[in-house]
Amino acid sequence: MSVKNNKTIAEKTATLQELVAWFDGDNFTLEKALEKFSEAEKLAAEIEHDLLSLKNDIEVVKARFDEV
Amino acid sequence: MDDTNQNLRISVSDFIALTNQTLEYAFPFVEVEGEVSSFKINQGKYVFFDLKDEGGSIGCFMMAWQLRLPIEEGMKVIVGASPKLTQWGKFSLTVRSIRPSGEGSLKKSFELLKEKLTKEGLFASERKRSLPEIPEHIGVISSVEAAGYADFIKILDERFGGIRIEVAHVQVQGESAPDQIIRALKHFNSREILPEVVVIVRGGGSADDLSTFNDELLVREIAGSRIPTLVGVGHEVDVTLADLAADVRAATPSNAAQLLVPHRREVAKRVRHKVNLLVPRIERIMDQQETLVRHIVQGAFESLTRKQAQAEERLEMLRQVLYQLDPRIVLKRGYAIVHGDVQPGAVIEIEKSDILITAEVRDVSKKQ
Repeated sequence: MSVKNNKTIAEKTATLQELVAWFDGDNFTLEKALEKFSEAEKLAAEIEHDLLSLKNDIEVVKARFDEV
Repeated sequence: MDDTNQNLRISVSDFIALTNQTLEYAFPFVEVEGEVSSFKINQGKYVFFDLKDEGGSIGCFMMAWQLRLPIEEGMKVIVGASPKLTQWGKFSLTVRSIRPSGEGSLKKSFELLKEKLTKEGLFASERKRSLPEIPEHIGVISSVEAAGYADFIKILDERFGGIRIEVAHVQVQGESAPDQIIRALKHFNSREILPEVVVIVRGGGSADDLSTFNDELLVREIAGSRIPTLVGVGHEVDVTLADLAADVRAATPSNAAQLLVPHRREVAKRVRHKVNLLVPRIERIMDQQETLVRHIVQGAFESLTRKQAQAEERLEMLRQVLYQLDPRIVLKRGYAIVHGDVQPGAVIEIEKSDILITAEVRDVSKKQ
């Protein structure tokens, strides 16, 4: 499973959840576990980086509310 | 005597019109404070009452839909109105807005509306929706110049990032504030892509300032919002009806930011913890696999050992049989082997276990 950089934190977190859930699933194999684990580690590092660096995007609505 | 240039002579209708023009010019809009008496609503549409103080009384008229707060006899109010002389010569105030004045009236009005809306179930806990754990898109209704808004954004920025925040700039106090907030709510609720939460924030203020958030129409709009609402108005001790109608009530604008998103460091810690938990899990599975392999090898070894023991046992049995068949063992039991041609006169060799005997055959006969 490749992880795209343009995903949001929520999307990356959902992907991480899936990866973690794989370890409890029927498809678990020890051979693939290390690959999945390093993928999860990389994703966690990306999420951490995003969490600590992302800024909010504030946009003031153009519509005026003082007019009927 | 010519009296036309001494006094203005006009018709009654013109006089009323002229008076109203003069009033409109002199007092286009006036706020009058007084006590409500003779309050009545006719046909559910028209509201009549008198506004009085120790020195006088004046009639007031307004439309029922303009009544945004419960009003009752004896309540002290401030009306925003235009003075008018009616065609029947009665002077009255045409009221555009009315709000309670003074702590007692504000409290009374608040309690009356609270009771009414509670009976309607607007504040019922079962109506409350939970907010998304981490919203990606929110709508904020506030004044961008207000300290409460600045607090909210500051705390939100500290706690989390990557959120799309759309801000509807409105007045958060004053006569037009409730309608502006209602329009902003309608704006967000009619969007093609709805924000996940609408947050209404305003910092602390006097009871009169915060009375905006006790406006009946605004409270109903909040309760009817398609989008879950979070309201953080005033200080911790302030409770408005907007707070009660919201899905989630925050004590202050800063608290609204705290309730809206977790702290980024906490989330990062949780993410790391989630991955770290995989290590013991993999180790446990590896241990299980190792134990399984060890059991298989152990089983194979035991099976091999067992088979070897069986083979050795069988070999020993064969060895015993062979031993019993050995001629030397038979000789030891006393038997002898005769070598040579057994006929009278022939010389033969008789082999025993420990000696060889050479002998001559005297006679050979069949056993009886």
